[in-house]
Amino acid sequence: MVKRGNIGRKGISPSQWVKIRKISQVIFFIIFLALFFWSRREFYLNPSVESGFKETLVNLPLKLDPLVMIAQAIASRKILQGSLLAVFTLILTFILGRVWCGWFCPMGTILEWLPLRSWKKKQPSVPEWFRGIKYVLLMVILFSAIFTNLTLLFLDPLTIGYRTLTTAIWPGLDKIVTFLELQLIQVPFLSAAVGGFDSLIRPAIFPAHPAFYRYGLLYIGFFFSLIVLNVLAPRFWCRYLCPLGGLLGLLGKVSLVGCEITSNCSTCGKCVPACPTGAIKDQGQVFCDPGECTMCLVCAENCPGDSVKFPFKVSQFLNQPYDIERRKVLLSMGATAVGVGLLETNFAGQVQPPTPIRPPGVMNEKLLSTCIRCGECSTVCPTNAIQMAVLDGGVEGFWTPIIVPRIGYCDYSCQACGQVCPVEAIPPLSLEIKRRQVIGKALVDRDRCLPWAENQECIVCEEMCPVPDKAIELELVEVSDGTGGTKILQRPVVVRKLCIGCGICETKCPVAGEAAIQITVHSGGHQPGRNHQGWQ
Amino acid sequence: MTSLSRKNFLRFLATSIGSLYLSGCINQDKLLSRSFSPEKITPTPFLPGPQNTVEADPTIEPEETPTQEPSTTPVPVYPDLVVARQGDPEQMVRAAVDSLGGMGRFVTPGDVVVVKPNICASYHSYEYAATTNPWVVGAVVKLAIEAGAKQVKVMDYPFGGTAEQAYRKSGIQAEVQKAGGKMVVMSNIKFIETAIPEGKDLRSTRIYDDILRADVLINVPIAKNHELALLTLAMKNLMGIIYNRPYMHTNLGQRLADLSTRVRSHLVIVDAVRMLMAHGPTGGNLADVKKANTVIASPDIVAADSYAATLFGYQPEQLGYINKGVQMGLGIANLDKLNIEEIHLG
Repeated sequence: MVKRGNIGRKGISPSQWVKIRKISQVIFFIIFLALFFWSRREFYLNPSVESGFKETLVNLPLKLDPLVMIAQAIASRKILQGSLLAVFTLILTFILGRVWCGWFCPMGTILEWLPLRSWKKKQPSVPEWFRGIKYVLLMVILFSAIFTNLTLLFLDPLTIGYRTLTTAIWPGLDKIVTFLELQLIQVPFLSAAVGGFDSLIRPAIFPAHPAFYRYGLLYIGFFFSLIVLNVLAPRFWCRYLCPLGGLLGLLGKVSLVGCEITSNCSTCGKCVPACPTGAIKDQGQVFCDPGECTMCLVCAENCPGDSVKFPFKVSQFLNQPYDIERRKVLLSMGATAVGVGLLETNFAGQVQPPTPIRPPGVMNEKLLSTCIRCGECSTVCPTNAIQMAVLDGGVEGFWTPIIVPRIGYCDYSCQACGQVCPVEAIPPLSLEIKRRQVIGKALVDRDRCLPWAENQECIVCEEMCPVPDKAIELELVEVSDGTGGTKILQRPVVVRKLCIGCGICETKCPVAGEAAIQITVHSGGHQPGRNHQGWQ
Repeated sequence: MTSLSRKNFLRFLATSIGSLYLSGCINQDKLLSRSFSPEKITPTPFLPGPQNTVEADPTIEPEETPTQEPSTTPVPVYPDLVVARQGDPEQMVRAAVDSLGGMGRFVTPGDVVVVKPNICASYHSYEYAATTNPWVVGAVVKLAIEAGAKQVKVMDYPFGGTAEQAYRKSGIQAEVQKAGGKMVVMSNIKFIETAIPEGKDLRSTRIYDDILRADVLINVPIAKNHELALLTLAMKNLMGIIYNRPYMHTNLGQRLADLSTRVRSHLVIVDAVRMLMAHGPTGGNLADVKKANTVIASPDIVAADSYAATLFGYQPEQLGYINKGVQMGLGIANLDKLNIEEIHLG
């Protein structure tokens, strides 16, 4: 464990400490990325192998995230063993302050690397009360969790990271690389090299089959806008908006180690604009707000004297105007009640519940109060069947996993989503049990199906059906062959009691556009008439 | 000499990428649709079966190629088709290939050999007879390596599940690696638009590059049920080497025959150790599996498929692609006209 009590006194100098911190940021950023790529690769290669090891490892960042773990525990009324890891982060924050934000958080690292403009000479003109937003967000998230709603967890920095990587950055890079490969493979002397390169990067880094995610632009746009906000203030997101930062900030206020400007300060004011989160304020006397300080040590590096110390002491609880006070608590409670209440009174949602097709074993009602919106299931799904809902599952179901069978099918020998889910929102099922999960039922559109509508031969859905006794039967009919004679034609008919709704028939249906066989919600797995049972 | 400015560097980069791209475009026509060159695919490792019998056995009328010029050199007598029964899979493959004249008849030292088993999905292990028997594939790889093959690649493109998992689950990966072969995961970028000049309906399609470049293709299907084609055998097994498979299902028989005119299987070994009698091609029910302990080997893809069809109680002419194969001159379906050798082991 790093001790920071001796900053500027002996041994390691402040600028060396800053270097160490930057190395830590790089390492954790690389670990975050590596786990992302590794999880995709591992679950692609072994979608049905339970090792215990990979499931634990890929979730590590999320399990260390106290915001999602606390909110999830409140909403699901259940404490998972794995989420106790988040206690470690809380203890660390209690001792050292918001080191998570300054030393580890990948989102914070990106925002620090991309300041977009120099802040050496000027102070941001964002009003100070903006800092209160993160506390309001935090409280709304926690209050909603009491009402079993977890929708706003899509604002957690780690889930933002996973979402953007999964749906936009990674498939986008893949498309560019694939395009270049397809161009270069046509150059005679390069084709062998390109082929070799391709087998090196797939499936190690990029998907073996083209990855498709809906609305990638939306998520990358959201992510970019967070970066662009840096124009208004350095680390704008971390300062003003991040609910996880809010949670850690509250704990940081009483942390054992904290930044202290000693009395021999010359009030030169160099540390004030240097501080990337604006935690150091010059109000006649220079002081640091430990709730805003990310322990980045830049102040110590910039201090011409030796006045910035990080002593081991209980921080004074300095209440700032932007901190939590009664009004903000009441505002958050009000906003939560109105928000959650309105979601529940959504009449259309009650009559026609937006119950999309969910991953295997998922109960829609339970999912909404358990899913932390991280999207790891979507990352590892080898066929891209799992997409993240936008409004498909109602407003409260934003960024929960759904299955879009036209994009991908639920592989009969895969159980990756249940294994990777850090909160068991998708239950970890053995392959045998997962194969019996009914996620929907196929329905043939006889007005568009080739053998039904156009008397053409096609049995692709029957051929693909993985159910041992085939959930699609072929009905034999005698039809005109167009030249005056007749021919026997096979027409697909779904055997509803056998169909598990895996959707491979819809994925592979050769009819252009919408498939002529589609998966529809099966009422057995969902409560009709209500999509959100959390209240009771 | 000034140092390279950013502008100049970018200019240099743009020019080189541009010229690279242009060179790609120039070659595009030629490369994207490789012209048909039978020499390249069929480096005459053997004479087609029917001709052999013409030379060796004058009692059998040459049906397919009556005007064939007699070969100047005497050709050894080989059966057109060998059926081995009741041994363990490797024994049966060895016995069958030996009777055909040994693997040396098909593989010359230094050849790159592609073995194409049927690994249709990652759902079940080999007992369910949805994928080719791993020991049959392993034996084929061993024989090819013993015959001096430089490299033996084994590949298929499963439609269900990931290739890596299907290779493992089928047991084929373990046997192939033990035998010294290489499992190749087929890459999406290596399916190359290829003209099929002899095709009647399928005139062009995207075919896997490694298969086009291979010196020898050994087609190792498993004999199993398929609702549209009745059976999945060797000609149907070639579906795995093309990209646009849903397209094939209309006019399947003709298109499969067309494909076989472009991609010749130099040796066909039909695995009927276990046969999937119903609910193919994916299977999953042991009650649908019949243990027949049979391996069929022939250089004639139509003959091999025809014989395999009889194991299911079908007449060869009931299968659309066999009929079309005969029409396209790919081989002989009439089993009475074939010189068939039956071997009973054990």
